[in-house]
Amino acid sequence: MTSCKIADKYGSFFNLAREHQIIFYYVGYFSQHIVAAMADAVKLQLEVAGVAAPTRRKLFSSFVEMAQNIIHYSADSLTPASQTDGELRHGSVCIRREFDGSFSLLCANPIEPLMAEGLRVKLTALRSMTLEEIKLAYRQTLREDTPDGSKGAGLGFLTVARDAREPLEFDFDANDESGDSPVFYLKAAI
Amino acid sequence: MDNLYIAPTPSSPEVDFKFDTHILSLRGESYPENAAAFYGDIVAQLREFLAMQSAITLEVNIALAYFNSSSTKMLFNLIEALDNAAAAGNRVVLNWYHDEEDDTILEFGQELSEDFPAIEFINRSVGAV
Repeated sequence: MTSCKIADKYGSFFNLAREHQIIFYYVGYFSQHIVAAMADAVKLQLEVAGVAAPTRRKLFSSFVEMAQNIIHYSADSLTPASQTDGELRHGSVCIRREFDGSFSLLCANPIEPLMAEGLRVKLTALRSMTLEEIKLAYRQTLREDTPDGSKGAGLGFLTVARDAREPLEFDFDANDESGDSPVFYLKAAI
Repeated sequence: MDNLYIAPTPSSPEVDFKFDTHILSLRGESYPENAAAFYGDIVAQLREFLAMQSAITLEVNIALAYFNSSSTKMLFNLIEALDNAAAAGNRVVLNWYHDEEDDTILEFGQELSEDFPAIEFINRSVGAV
């Protein structure tokens, strides 16, 4: 029977998702329309699941920051690098429920190899900061001119870090099968 | 000067700047793909309007349920422009709406009120924005 073959071939993928308590996963190209639609779906799902309002807000905010980072910075792009609106870039986002009931938010996207060191420096510094220091850095950055090369305001990681329960975790996978670009991973515990 | 109206989308707010009646409102959610582009024209038109005013009273309503990091930056610029107008002799009353459970937007409003003392800042907590 065909259905058995499908289960054999793809069942492991779905079982893995269940095992990891994945409540949302998307892989593919990100556009602003897709981000808005996903944000809507995530918001509804968390409301229906009865997640407390402050947690919902933190998850929603961090989700949007991560998804928009993919639109702005992923190295795998269908649109020219010079285009600043209507961009379409590749990556993935994932929300999983931990066994203690908390949430983990993860994203992954290929990056230009030269960007890895800058990200490492920035995120290592951020990891060593207390919540008070993060809030202070946020206030200072808000009042400064937008850094060169930033399409947001240099506030994205600070915004996620401010809402996370633990220091942000990150990683680079240079041996990813998808291509030559290293893949950047970011995880926020909410 | 013509009024400025921009209809809301799922990721950008309704902009309703009634320059003729001195009531300016922003409502909805704000996470456009390019916040600098979205707010750039709005802030430019606001500055142009403010430059022509003296001794007016301006009512500003900001009721945003969510704004992303780059929108935060642009809101800061917008409110800075209002503060300059207030310091130049106009009266600016800013109604800052936030969900009663949303500490982040409340705290950001409090910071704005400290940074921009020329504005009469009214904190408005609501059950649901």
